[in-house]
Amino acid sequence: MKKSYRILPVYTGDVSGFASALYELGGMCVIHDPSGCNSTYNTHDEIRWYDKESLIYISGLNDIDAITGNDDKLISNIIYAAEQMKPKFIALANSPLPYLNGTDFKGICRILEQKTGLPCFYVQTNAMHDYSRGASEALLAFARKFITKLPKHQGSKPGANVLGTTPLDLTATAIDISDEYDLISNWSYGTSFDEVIKAGSADINIVASSSGLATAEYMRDELGIPYRFIGDYLDVRREPSKRYIVGEPVTSGFVAAQLKRRYGADFNIIATTEITEGLLSECDRKCHGEEEIRTALADAEMIIADPLFELVAPKEAKFIRLPHFAMSGRLYLKEIPDLTKPEEYYHEP
Amino acid sequence: MQQSNDDRVRIADAAFPKPFSYGLEFNAPAHGTWNIVHIGFKIPEAHQIYVCADNCMRGVVMTAAEMGELRRFSSVILEEDDMVHSGRLEETTIEGITDVLQSLEKVPPVVIVFPVCIHRFMGCDMDYIYGELNKRFPEVKFVRGFMDPVMQKRSTTPDQRLRKAMFDIIPELPSDGSVSVIGCDMRMDDANDIKKLLALSGKVIRDEADIATLDDYYSLGRAEYFVCSYPAGLLGASALSIRTKRPYRYLPFTFGYDAVDEGLRSLGTDIPEGFFEAGKKRCDEAASVLKDAIGNTEIQLDYTAVPRPLSLARFLLERSFDLTAVYADAFDPDEQRDYEWLAANHPDLLIRSTVHVRGRRPSRSENKILAIGQKAAWFTGTEYFVNMIEGGGLYGYSGIEKFLRLMEEAYNEPKDTRDIIPRKGIGCASLV
Repeated sequence: MKKSYRILPVYTGDVSGFASALYELGGMCVIHDPSGCNSTYNTHDEIRWYDKESLIYISGLNDIDAITGNDDKLISNIIYAAEQMKPKFIALANSPLPYLNGTDFKGICRILEQKTGLPCFYVQTNAMHDYSRGASEALLAFARKFITKLPKHQGSKPGANVLGTTPLDLTATAIDISDEYDLISNWSYGTSFDEVIKAGSADINIVASSSGLATAEYMRDELGIPYRFIGDYLDVRREPSKRYIVGEPVTSGFVAAQLKRRYGADFNIIATTEITEGLLSECDRKCHGEEEIRTALADAEMIIADPLFELVAPKEAKFIRLPHFAMSGRLYLKEIPDLTKPEEYYHEP
Repeated sequence: MQQSNDDRVRIADAAFPKPFSYGLEFNAPAHGTWNIVHIGFKIPEAHQIYVCADNCMRGVVMTAAEMGELRRFSSVILEEDDMVHSGRLEETTIEGITDVLQSLEKVPPVVIVFPVCIHRFMGCDMDYIYGELNKRFPEVKFVRGFMDPVMQKRSTTPDQRLRKAMFDIIPELPSDGSVSVIGCDMRMDDANDIKKLLALSGKVIRDEADIATLDDYYSLGRAEYFVCSYPAGLLGASALSIRTKRPYRYLPFTFGYDAVDEGLRSLGTDIPEGFFEAGKKRCDEAASVLKDAIGNTEIQLDYTAVPRPLSLARFLLERSFDLTAVYADAFDPDEQRDYEWLAANHPDLLIRSTVHVRGRRPSRSENKILAIGQKAAWFTGTEYFVNMIEGGGLYGYSGIEKFLRLMEEAYNEPKDTRDIIPRKGIGCASLV
C-alpha cells in the first residue's frame, strides 16, 4: 500500500517548506493549525530557529473554532501580533482542518490587508504534501505579491537570481555563480527582503531546487526573465545504470551531472519528492512512498542517498551516505556536505 | 480577574488558573519535555503506528528516528482522497495498519494506534476500526492513542489520554503487596522520600519509568496501590484505580512542607520518628547554604521543570531568594493556595507566557540569571540553569534538598544551553 511506511520517515512537509522558504524575508508567517506544526518545524525542519529571528507562529486552532469557522478570532489575533511585531508582510498557510472546512484564506488576506495596511498573501498548503510543494508555493506567492519588472541590472556581468535555496535542500551548499553572473538575489537562504525584491532586475534565473521552478516559470512568463538549472544538469547525458541517487530531483540531478563530468560515472535519479515534471532525464524515475522506493532500489549496485534510505536498500548494494536535511533532519546534520564538492562525498570505486 | 493579552502579568493581576488569553503562538526552541512518541515507547515491545498527513507525521517520526527507534514506528499517510469519500478514512486506516503489521518481521504484541484531528473532525468510526483490527490481529493488544491537539485547549491533552490508554492494558492481577509508580516519565530518584519510606517498609516498588520487559509492564497490575507523581498521569491513574479497585496516591513533587507531610503519610507506611523534622531541617540548611552561595542572583523558573512551580516560587520567596518570574501559560488548579499566597505577599512576581508572540524577541539581561527549567533558560539566555523536567523523579525532603543542591550546581557550572535544550526528551535515547 502506497500510503503505509513500515520504517522510512516522510520528508519535511509542505507547511514547513512554506516557513523555510519565507524564513528570512521579514514577514510574519502564520500556520492556521491547532498545535505541533511549529514545534515540528523548528525542531526537525529548521536549522536557523535558535539563532536567527523569524516570525513564524501557529494560530492555535481549537475544535469549536474549527467547527464554527470562527475566522474573526484568527483575524484579530493576527492583527494584534502584527501590531506587536511589525512584520513587512503577512503570509498564511493552511493545515488539514481549515482545509477540510474550506476556510476562505484569500478573503481573510483581503481583510488583513485592509486592517493592517500590510501586504498579505495566502500560500496553498494543507499538510498533505512534501516540503518542495510548500516552499514552491511560498516563493511563487511571494513573487506574485512583490516582484515587478525593474530596470535591468547594470554591471560587468549579467545579473542572476538563484531560486529554491532553502536549507532543506542546500543546507551546507554555497552556490557560487560569480564566474558568470552578478548575484541579484538568493531565494531564500542567507538573504533578506530588500535583496529579493530586486529580483525583477535580473537577466536570468538559476533554479537550484524543485522549489524554485514555479517561480522561475512565473518570472519567465510575467517578466521575460529566462531560467536555467543549476549546473545545467539536464544537458548532461547519462546512460541507464544500476547506480542510483535518491532524493530531490534538481539537487540529485546536479550531483549526477558532476559525477558524470568528473568521473564519467552514470547515476540514475530516483526522485522521491513531489515536483518532478521537466526535471528528470529519460533514465530517471519518480517514486512515491516506501514500497515504490524499496522496489526501485531492488537491483541497485550502488546508491547515493540519505543514510535513512539504507533501511530499505538491498544489502548487496554499495551505499554512499549523502545526508539530506529534509529527510533525516538534524540526525546527520554535521555530515551534510557541500553538494558542489563531490570529492567530499563520492569516491570512485 | 481578566486574562491578559500581554506576554507578562503581575501575579496580583493574574487570572487563575489561566493568566493569558489565547492568541497566535510562538514555540521556543527548548524541547526537553517528552511527547507522545517518547511516552508510547515506555511500553516495551510496543509498536507505534500514526495515521496522519505528511506534515503532522514529520514531528513524530523524527522523534522516533532521533531515539533510534524507527523499527518500532510506522506510518499511514492520509491524503486528500481520504477525505472526500464516505468511509474512506476508516478504510485507509484499517488497510494501512494491516499492511504495516503484515510487513513487519514479527507481529508485535502491543500496537499503539494514533489517529488524529482529521479522524475526530470527520466523525470517523473508531470503534469499527478497532473492531476490525481486533478481528484481523486477535493476538495484538491495540492501545487507543490519539494525536488530536485540536481538542487540547478545551479538554484533556493527547498526552493525558495516551497515558490512560497505556494503563488500560495493565491487567488486574492478584496483589503481591507491591507499589506501582505510574504516570511520570522520570524514574524515581534516590532522593525521593516515597521510595525511601516504601523501602523501609519492605515494599517492592515497580516504577513504570524503569520497566524493561512487557511482562514487567503487565506486572504493574500486581500492586496493592498505585502512586502517581505527575499531573498528566492522573487521569490514567484514576481510571486504573477504578478498574482494578485498588487505591492510588497522587503525589506530585511539591515544596510545601505541609503537603509533603500529608503526602508521605498517605502512603500508610511506618514513618521513623523525627523523619519529617530532620527532613525539614536539612532542607532549611540547604536553602541557607544556597542563599549564601548565590546571594541576590536573579532567578526565573518555568512550569516544565517541576509539577508545582508555584510551590517552588513560594518556597524560594519565603527564603528571600530573588525570584522575579515564573514562565507558565496555565496553572494546575491544585496550586491555588500558593497562587493566593504569592499574589498577597509578592504581588510584583511576574507570570510570563511561553507562547506569546513577543516571545520571539526575548529581552535578555546582561546580569547573571539562574534559571530553573529549559524554557526559562531560553527566554533569559542564561548558561546557568537546572536542566530538569517533571520534577526529575524527586519527592519529599530528600527531593527538595537535592533540588537545592542542583540549583547551586547550576549556579556554579555553566551549561551549553545552545546544545542541550533543543534536544528532545530528557532521559531518552538520542542519536542527535
